Amino acid sequence: MAAAVSSEHFDNLQLLLKAPSKDAVRDVCVQSHRGPSRRLADTTAATLSIPTAQAAQLVQSLHVVSHHVLFYNLVSPEQILQLFPDSFHSSLKNLITKILLENSPTWRTEALSDQISLPQLKDLDWRVDMVTGSDSVSRMSVPTCLVQLQMEDPCPAAGGEALSAVTVELSRESLDTILDGLGRIRDQLSVVAGK
Amino acid sequence: MQLHFTKDVLSDSVSTDFQNLNKLNEQQFLRLIEILFQFLLEPKETERFMQQLGEFAGEHGMSAGPLRSLMKSVLLVPQGALKKNLTSEQIKEDLVTLGLNQDKAAHFSQQWGEHYAALSSLAVGQTLMVNQLVDMEWKFGVTVGTSEVQKVGNIFLQLKLVVRKGNSTENVYMELTLPQFYNFLHEMERAKASMECFS
Repeated sequence: MAAAVSSEHFDNLQLLLKAPSKDAVRDVCVQSHRGPSRRLADTTAATLSIPTAQAAQLVQSLHVVSHHVLFYNLVSPEQILQLFPDSFHSSLKNLITKILLENSPTWRTEALSDQISLPQLKDLDWRVDMVTGSDSVSRMSVPTCLVQLQMEDPCPAAGGEALSAVTVELSRESLDTILDGLGRIRDQLSVVAGK
Repeated sequence: MQLHFTKDVLSDSVSTDFQNLNKLNEQQFLRLIEILFQFLLEPKETERFMQQLGEFAGEHGMSAGPLRSLMKSVLLVPQGALKKNLTSEQIKEDLVTLGLNQDKAAHFSQQWGEHYAALSSLAVGQTLMVNQLVDMEWKFGVTVGTSEVQKVGNIFLQLKLVVRKGNSTENVYMELTLPQFYNFLHEMERAKASMECFS
């Protein structure tokens, strides 16, 4: 059973009754999902003709409600309608519910692609060279493989770069060992997927 | 002096050293060559090599110092021969040119022929590699939840690559989604197929 959202947030939501149009309500709801913003509070105050302080509280409450819906994955209208207090304005309740349901899939995808993780592999390039000579053996014919891995860090350290690349050189044996390892991962994955 | 194993001009002491080898009897020469090839096959074992030479010198009433410098000269031949991919015949010719008698030269070149494959692999193995991949570790699992979404079920794969940079190693960490993993596997299989064309 999902936790409840406190009623003071819904008091703030009733301020949306002052909105000039359904689209205005939609805009505020969608933009508040990102996070608190002075600019958003100002434009909302202007649109709804309410003091900035109240607009800021409204934006914050919308944020809490939309993130609650996202966190607990409330996907049916009934689940969302249940959050509202009985005294809440009925058509506004239906409108907000509709807006939240419309945007939930996008918000979920964004949240999942934005989550913390190690640098993600973005691109992979390779080439195979034939080494024909070196300082230790003047004539040889040994293949070697170069692999370039491009990675993107979704949360780089302050001042750090998000994109990085590393190039590694692999001998034939190393490549075989890697393929062996990757094969084992693939087998383990298919066992997990089969369950 | 026309030699296969080197184009450099050798100092006179090298010729003298090879001629001194002729003074050893067959048994002594065989043992000395055995010690030499043991070292060539395990080039990191310098202490053991020096110790064996010291023991040999003691057993046969020689001074260790001169013996060691003699072996330094002798080492020039197999080391140069590896670089130049010489055959047993060519090594034998060089040894004779340097003053070693026919029997001893024949024995040396025969040992060379026997160990050539192993010595070649060693030399090739010493060829420089840039950012050589030394190790790969992995783990994979399922993301169960995040601070934004309580219940999730995505499979992730984390790889740690250990790369040799100069004398130290560097760890590279990355995460792959399932499609990226399959792409990685596919590309590595293509790379392997490409390498196999060349063998």
